[in-house]
Amino acid sequence: MTPFMISAIPSECRVINKEDALIKKFVLSIAGGVIWGWMAMFVNSVSGAFMFEGSFPHNLVTFAVAGAVFGAVAGGLLCAVEARLPFKSLALKAVMVTTAVWVVLRLGGAMLSKMEPARYNIVTPQTVQGFFLAVILGIILGLLLKNRPLPIQES
Amino acid sequence: LLGAHDTFHDFRHTIGMPCH
Repeated sequence: MTPFMISAIPSECRVINKEDALIKKFVLSIAGGVIWGWMAMFVNSVSGAFMFEGSFPHNLVTFAVAGAVFGAVAGGLLCAVEARLPFKSLALKAVMVTTAVWVVLRLGGAMLSKMEPARYNIVTPQTVQGFFLAVILGIILGLLLKNRPLPIQES
Repeated sequence: LLGAHDTFHDFRHTIGMPCH
């Protein structure tokens, strides 16, 4: 859609559409996060990096909730910084954001581990799996949040 | 223009964060 075509849309419609687009991205980020949470469960079941201690129904809920939070945070950050990132592809930008979030969290974990090694022990296979999952979340968000033209509404 | 430890224990391990 060209700038001329956008300017032809009545301004009140554009307001609705812009807010709708942002809300839609937020909802898609949460949905992507939930899918990612369940995917993480599956990946861990296959890899065996960690033996689940909770029951399957419990994990189904908690992974969905945690995934939704991660998706919302990563999606929000992506919307905020995507214009400043060096890549053209949104998927690459999303991967950069999600891996950056994961690295920051992991550095915090490393700091806790230094302070209380008995309580926070580091398991390398889980760390590798976590980084891999962060990349997957980026790919999911990149595919879901692809910029689509604003929908035109009749006023 | 604007409990947590126990509940998410498995998730935290799965995404590679240090935990006991």
